Amino acid sequence: MRIKLTSLMVEDQAKALRFYTDTLGFKKKSDVPVGEYRWITVVSPEGPNDLELSLEPNANPAGKKFQEAMFSQGIPLAAFEVSDIAAEFDRLKKHGVAFTTEPTPAGPVTLAIFADGCGNLIQLYQPVARP
Amino acid sequence: MLLKPAVFRGLCRARDLLHGVPERPLSVEEVAREAGISPFHFIRQFEAVFGETPHQFRIRSRLELARRLLAAGNHSVTDVCVEVGFSSLGSFSDLFTRRIGETPSGYRRRARSMVAVPGRLPQALFPGCLSLMGSLPPSAFRSFREASPPSL
Repeated sequence: MRIKLTSLMVEDQAKALRFYTDTLGFKKKSDVPVGEYRWITVVSPEGPNDLELSLEPNANPAGKKFQEAMFSQGIPLAAFEVSDIAAEFDRLKKHGVAFTTEPTPAGPVTLAIFADGCGNLIQLYQPVARP
Repeated sequence: MLLKPAVFRGLCRARDLLHGVPERPLSVEEVAREAGISPFHFIRQFEAVFGETPHQFRIRSRLELARRLLAAGNHSVTDVCVEVGFSSLGSFSDLFTRRIGETPSGYRRRARSMVAVPGRLPQALFPGCLSLMGSLPPSAFRSFREASPPSL
């Protein structure tokens, strides 16, 4: 048993693919039409053999309800590790990304939270360097 | 931009207000006021957070509700049109056809033919988590095979 794949529900798959590649900087790995939807996965160029992230339609009412409830409570549905959170915060803000939490120390990490414009909050975290 | 907690809560409240189909729909300015956000910043902040303007969000939310009702199959196209807050059947049909790619009656017919379990939405139109994976061609799993040990 291996962990190779995880998924995020998104409002609009085409828009999500643009955001996750053009803005966040991930690379498209698969994009296959499936009926009215697409099977889209992205990977990180910094770790192309890491986990694959599937951008799935949130067309199911149950999924959407969950997504909206978590969003309203300010809870992120995914977290991505970065090596310079201050630089990422500045870069994404210049792209017009809306943050709900600026880089904030939280125990072993510094974290920040932004909206992906596809219905999710996403957390960035940078592990604190050990002495 | 960095949103203050009160603004973030206000935007979520605005999203919930734009979802419903009230007797008298609120204007975008009224939604902003209800959410406690200055109308001047409201549209821009809403778009940054939800990826579309309040108006676009409201239209899409209504068309989604229309899709669900049509797929459930218990309502006529006219009923659905009224239910989701359109007063003219013509403009509802036009908008639905433009956005969804087929007429409301065509969608209703097709969706009903896909219902496997009565009372449950067809999974091909309303997929659950990771359910699309089952309909993929084998080539889509290239990456999984590459990662597996070579077979002898």
